[in-house]
Amino acid sequence: MNNKIIEHYLSKLEQLEFKFKRHVQNNNEIHIELEDSSQLIEFCNILKLDMNLRLLTMIYCDERKINHAFSLRYLLGSDTDDVFLFVILFIDKKHAYFPSLSDVFPSSIKYEREINDMFGIQTQGDTTLKPLLLHDFQKNIFPLRKDFHANTELNYTPRKFKFTPITGDGICEIPVGPIHAGIIEPGHFRFSVIGENIVNMETRLGYAHKGIEKIAENMSINNVVFLSERISGDESVANSMAFCQAIEKISQLEIPEKAKQIRLLFAELERIYNHFGTLSGILNDIGFSYGASRLEILKEYVMQLNEKLSGSRLLFGVNQIGGVKIDISNTSLVDIHSMLDNIFQNFEKILEHIQSNSSVIDRLRNTGIIEKQTANDLGVVGLSSICTGIDTDTRKNHPYGYYSSINFEQTPRTYMEHQVKLQKRIGDVLSRFMSRVDELRYSKKLIKSISNLETGEINVPLESKLTPFSSGLGYAESHRGETLHWIMIGEDNSIFRYKIRTASFANWSIIEHAVLNNIVADFPVINKSFDFSYSGNDL
Amino acid sequence: MTENNQNKIKKSDILSWNKVTFDKILQSNDMIPENFRGKISLDPDKDFVLNSQIGQNLENICPTNAISYKNTLESISLDVGKCIFCGNCQQDMPKLIKISNNFDMAKKRKTHLLEVFPESVPFGKTYEEIGDELKNKINKTFGRSLAIREIDAGSCNGCEIEISALTNPIYDIEQFGMHFVASPRHADLLLVTGPASKNMEKALKIAYESTPEPKLVIAVGACACSGGIFGKNYATTGGIDSIVPVDVFIPGCPPRPQAILYGIMLALDKI
Ligand code: SF4
Ligand code: SF4
Repeated sequence: MNNKIIEHYLSKLEQLEFKFKRHVQNNNEIHIELEDSSQLIEFCNILKLDMNLRLLTMIYCDERKINHAFSLRYLLGSDTDDVFLFVILFIDKKHAYFPSLSDVFPSSIKYEREINDMFGIQTQGDTTLKPLLLHDFQKNIFPLRKDFHANTELNYTPRKFKFTPITGDGICEIPVGPIHAGIIEPGHFRFSVIGENIVNMETRLGYAHKGIEKIAENMSINNVVFLSERISGDESVANSMAFCQAIEKISQLEIPEKAKQIRLLFAELERIYNHFGTLSGILNDIGFSYGASRLEILKEYVMQLNEKLSGSRLLFGVNQIGGVKIDISNTSLVDIHSMLDNIFQNFEKILEHIQSNSSVIDRLRNTGIIEKQTANDLGVVGLSSICTGIDTDTRKNHPYGYYSSINFEQTPRTYMEHQVKLQKRIGDVLSRFMSRVDELRYSKKLIKSISNLETGEINVPLESKLTPFSSGLGYAESHRGETLHWIMIGEDNSIFRYKIRTASFANWSIIEHAVLNNIVADFPVINKSFDFSYSGNDL
Repeated sequence: MTENNQNKIKKSDILSWNKVTFDKILQSNDMIPENFRGKISLDPDKDFVLNSQIGQNLENICPTNAISYKNTLESISLDVGKCIFCGNCQQDMPKLIKISNNFDMAKKRKTHLLEVFPESVPFGKTYEEIGDELKNKINKTFGRSLAIREIDAGSCNGCEIEISALTNPIYDIEQFGMHFVASPRHADLLLVTGPASKNMEKALKIAYESTPEPKLVIAVGACACSGGIFGKNYATTGGIDSIVPVDVFIPGCPPRPQAILYGIMLALDKI
């Protein structure tokens, strides 16, 4: 079935007046190399307008060893068809810069900043990009270049970071972070306020930068699974699943049906405990601690269930390349179902209470509104985008694993899309709250739709030697949204380049828009309603 | 003289029970028939392997549901409080269940009546016991309360989840007199997570310096102890002890809430 879609896209591409080389790989990836690279912006613009594609990520890679050039892959994707488009550009000594796509896709700026930091390659003409991940590092250090060693000892060299100055009568600046008041991750926020109202906010992240993409290049692929679980502790299943699927795709390894089912179970359990946590956090941030505590208890129950099933409260160590490590029996499945039934019975009662509490609803409604257009421009994905009616559900659009056997007619996201059209939902905190509630119910439904586990193996060994410099894209839907892992294999089954784009990285910039015209005191609840991972952003 | 008496009593001589004073029962087991079904416990032989068939069987055989087998956990639990000492289970699986003629089964807490195989408690004490002990120590050294500040020095947020679980109604760390404060300036103790990313180095130092004396620092999780899976690289410092002095290291990736509580207790010993 997928072949038809690919052919359809190929024929559309042929009709364009551009000359390019192309090839299809891994079922749903179309790779395109333009003959005249100066046409790139125009080409992408047409892809955006004609084919409704959006920029998913930009993958930079030091291929000087194999191709005598750096490569840059613009990854575009569709929200309706299962197809990924890689537009490849080679950057050699002759032009040590690349064109900026920010006029076509404003979201490209953050990728350009990242590339500038990690590779030291700039966009054409623009030399004002702010650093993103490297703070007080020596100048001219480009960690992801191949001639840089992961263990290089660097000196602390203070560098000044210029926040955009906002001036005017009565405007004050409030710096917050990187250490915050609550138990959360590090990040810096610079508010400019008039009275209580926020007129501008600038985020500075990167405090949790741990060099994940770099150190993966020195690890064996089986160990990288553990590393991928720790990109963001609460997304362990989604990230390790995306990584494993990328490797499985490259090696064309078909994993057993039972393993797929177990992966789905764990992925949905992960979604459930995290959504409970976020809902509880939202209520906590508006001072409704009764509801927050009740939901915390449910989260704890699910985490205890996780531990009973997998030995880890955060579901670490579930996935492996070629399947899963944890077997689940049919009797345990019954236990899971009945436990979830209990938990959700409780949940519905609490929810009733919350929804009938006008002080809660008042605080959530009309707070932290984001516009559909902004969300679109910034390439926001997952739950943060669905509250404006943009449906980017990887499980549905690019079905993977056992999700391909599920019928996605009426998902909570299509329902939310409808609500947005009717203007019952307007991209505020309340709509994000409610979409989490819908997602929770849906996750339970997905788990319950597996009534019987297949028999047989739960994993198959990765026997074949992977072809050096072959690549593949793995993807999964974490509770935050679309998660993409692109891998290029090196020699001897090593990793040549590991590009991770979590939903958090795609989404972070939206918060600067969501807080505008809100009061400073509402920032925590707006932030929590998006539930971004700092670690997943900083890598 | 009592010994003589004891010797005369035959183990099967039921009538002789009447002659024994209360005192003597406590002193010696000998007077209790060997086949008395007294203390029941899960005490597996070396070669015993639990499987689901054995588990299910035992569960079915028990008339009062004192035995329950959990498939997911692959564990079997025995609630001594529910047992009517019928002896069915021992007959069925003598390798696992031992019934002796001891009777010192009374426990101060109901939860102590529950036995589990394989043992699932990581160390001898329950969460409450550690907490109570901790509370005493806090009372002695910090006067009623311990103020904790959590600092994330670049963790993956797994450790944060477990630390914030400490505040949920189930672990509820406040019952032991501890609470999380919003600033290091109000803190007695810093819980630091993460491999100490280079970008957080400065902030961590400042936070440490602004914490008033006496202060304690605990490294939470593999990352904070040693850099964990991230190790020491261009962007991390390989453990927070390279930046600030550390009093206690809590291993685990992430450590469970109980383990964190236990670590806090160890730290208080240092003062
Ligand atoms: S469990 Fe064993 S293999 Fe795994 S990290 Fe610990 S020592 Fe190493
Ligand atoms: S110790 Fe493990 S769970 Fe904790 S921050 Fe490090 S990687 Fe994450």
